[in-house]
Amino acid sequence: MDWINIIQNTCKALTGVDAAYFALAAIGLNVQFGYTGLLNFGQAAFMACGAYGVGMTSKYFGIGMWWGLPIGMAFVIVLALLVGIPTLRLRADYLAIVTIALAEMVRLIVRSVRFKQYFGGSDGINGFSLQFRELSPFDPGAQYGFWPLQYSGYTVWTLLVGWVLVAIFATLVYMLMRSPWGRVIKAIREDEDAVRSLGKSVYSYKMQSLMIGGLIGMFSGVVFALDRGSVQPDNYSRDVTFYILTALVLGGVAKVSGSIVGSMLFWGIFVFSDNFLRELTKDEPLKIFGVTVMQKIQVGAINYMLIGVGLMLLMTFRPQGIFGNRKEMALDAR
Amino acid sequence: MVVASAGKRTYRLVRAFAVVAGFLVLFGSGANAASAEEGLSIIASVQNQTVDAGVSQKQPVAGVTITVTTPAGAMIGTGVTDEAGLISFPVPSRDNYIVTLDTATLPNGFTMIDSAKAVSIVSKEDFTTSVKRATFFTGSSNTSTQSLLNRMIQRGADGLRLGLVIAMCAVGLSLIFGTTGLTNFAHGEMVTFGGLMAFLLNVTMGIPLLISAPIVVALGGLFGLALNVFIFGKLRRRGVGLISQLVVSVGLSIVLRNMYLYQFGGRTKPLNDYSQQTVMRLGPTSITPRDLTTAILSLLVLVAVALFIQKSRTGKAIRAVSDNPTLASSTGIDTQRIIRIVWFAGGALAALGGIFRGLDEQVGFEMGSRLVFLMFAAITLGGLGSAFGALVGGVLVGIFVEMASLVVPSELKNAPALLILIIVLVARPQGILGRKQRVG
Repeated sequence: MDWINIIQNTCKALTGVDAAYFALAAIGLNVQFGYTGLLNFGQAAFMACGAYGVGMTSKYFGIGMWWGLPIGMAFVIVLALLVGIPTLRLRADYLAIVTIALAEMVRLIVRSVRFKQYFGGSDGINGFSLQFRELSPFDPGAQYGFWPLQYSGYTVWTLLVGWVLVAIFATLVYMLMRSPWGRVIKAIREDEDAVRSLGKSVYSYKMQSLMIGGLIGMFSGVVFALDRGSVQPDNYSRDVTFYILTALVLGGVAKVSGSIVGSMLFWGIFVFSDNFLRELTKDEPLKIFGVTVMQKIQVGAINYMLIGVGLMLLMTFRPQGIFGNRKEMALDAR
Repeated sequence: MVVASAGKRTYRLVRAFAVVAGFLVLFGSGANAASAEEGLSIIASVQNQTVDAGVSQKQPVAGVTITVTTPAGAMIGTGVTDEAGLISFPVPSRDNYIVTLDTATLPNGFTMIDSAKAVSIVSKEDFTTSVKRATFFTGSSNTSTQSLLNRMIQRGADGLRLGLVIAMCAVGLSLIFGTTGLTNFAHGEMVTFGGLMAFLLNVTMGIPLLISAPIVVALGGLFGLALNVFIFGKLRRRGVGLISQLVVSVGLSIVLRNMYLYQFGGRTKPLNDYSQQTVMRLGPTSITPRDLTTAILSLLVLVAVALFIQKSRTGKAIRAVSDNPTLASSTGIDTQRIIRIVWFAGGALAALGGIFRGLDEQVGFEMGSRLVFLMFAAITLGGLGSAFGALVGGVLVGIFVEMASLVVPSELKNAPALLILIIVLVARPQGILGRKQRVG
């Protein structure tokens, strides 16, 4: 058992780019799910908007990479209108059904052969992040940091950008939720009819919340794409949204700090258990009383099972998460 | 009093069964895969395929040289196909093999449909039965010769078949929603359960499908019941809200799907029985006897379900609970019993749908979760919570999706279902048969 390696990987995961892009997506999902009570199960689609926005600039539009941000924003707004207009007047689970369907459709469309010329099919898009790499003030060949956190120059750069974006959006959402707009949003979660009786347009506030959450999710996709230097359709599958939701509930719903801490913990736990189980089954399958329980190839499935179990237990026994306030978890007030 | 205690005893029995079923899933196929056996062989089959007016005919091709080697290149055997176009090679173990057809030995005028298919790879994971078939097809595949009208009729028939299966799976989803308010995102995994249990009984244990299918349906019902007893019933009693229950069902679907992946592996595999079919003509469409049988069976089951809900005492009670649980329980209906019946029936129907899906396509760990989105489109179209709505919606969605694939590339086949969802929600959110008060 290589404990040094496991601990190092776990520490890296706690603060890594994966945690940063999850945190961004979770902050966005929190605006919708935590503060407004919208069940957006298609956050992965909004992330794909950002990733494909920057990816398509050089390959398809032939323009500078930074144009990807406004293009991604346009995608997000179109998608939000597409799912929002039919569902936001209806009960909460309709949005869940439509967003989950939309996210699956977006993934199928971007990986299809028919639209390969735009989205690159199942290979995705590669080699668009040069402009971003050139901005890096760090030496790409050198190693930075101290044990257990040592990174190459480029990773330090994406980490820096990722966490700065997390800080910016966390502050923004924190301030937004203390503004009059945020109070209306939270009131909608508590009692939609009361807000309507005060003359507010619940529909339009919900739409704004959906778009703002989606736009923050879009930046998550951008960070992920820039870090990997490629956009892959299968990174935006339906389950990604559920993992982000698990991270969000773990940290605490309707708390800005909850989304960040939740994402860090999620990746810390996930990478720890993944590394631990892989070490356990490295040489021979794990046996209990002579019965083969786990082979190396099955570790991935077991890890995802643990995520699902975690989500079920959290939702049942501690829906407010670690930092959340039970009063804020009033999703079923109506 | 006696009745009550008997009911309790049955209930305990059912619980025990559910646990046993769970164990079967967990350890059944894993234990079986580990044991090695004698008499393993690979059968290579060469068939010439001709398409005549939409009906494909297959004739065996004799005298073709086939070679079987290991991936490393070691020779296992070589030989020439017989009158039936077959040749059998005994192999030492379930392992990876490469089956190669020597295209130079094909009779004059015969060509491979696709030259890449002159090599067939038998993989270790697929080698689940004691005899593994590697089939080669010769002849030209001309599918685009049919007229548009013929293709539309064919698609419509395929869509009807798909729609019947969707309807069968969606009835349970809709009834569970109607009686408990739960939007069950794990319903697709209940369909997969049926497919995988059929695989376990039919392929791993070798029980004929006609015998194993009723067992699988019963197990599916118990599985649904177990989900209610151990998870969702407990949540209701704890007073966990509906949205939280919905998220729990999402978690459950992740757990189950990965449990299936863990046990079954990521590949899709066919069931043993009825996998070899010859297409026959039925009016303007062509269909295999198997698909015709499953379609008729689906239709019969759906009619039976509709009659049950419309006519029987329990069916009326189900509709009453769907309408208004509080009012129903005040008139003396045991709502918890009705909910248990609905979960059992939903699980059984989903399992049957899983078997039919497994026959039609193949069995895989994601087969149900691919379908769940069509089921949601179906019950939204038909009206959430209405059993008849699910029936009508399922058939309509199936036909629409298949018809749309005339225009839409097949990889985006399910996209039109999203269109249905959006249009229904804009134009008539309560669906065809739903009531307005459920919506807002």
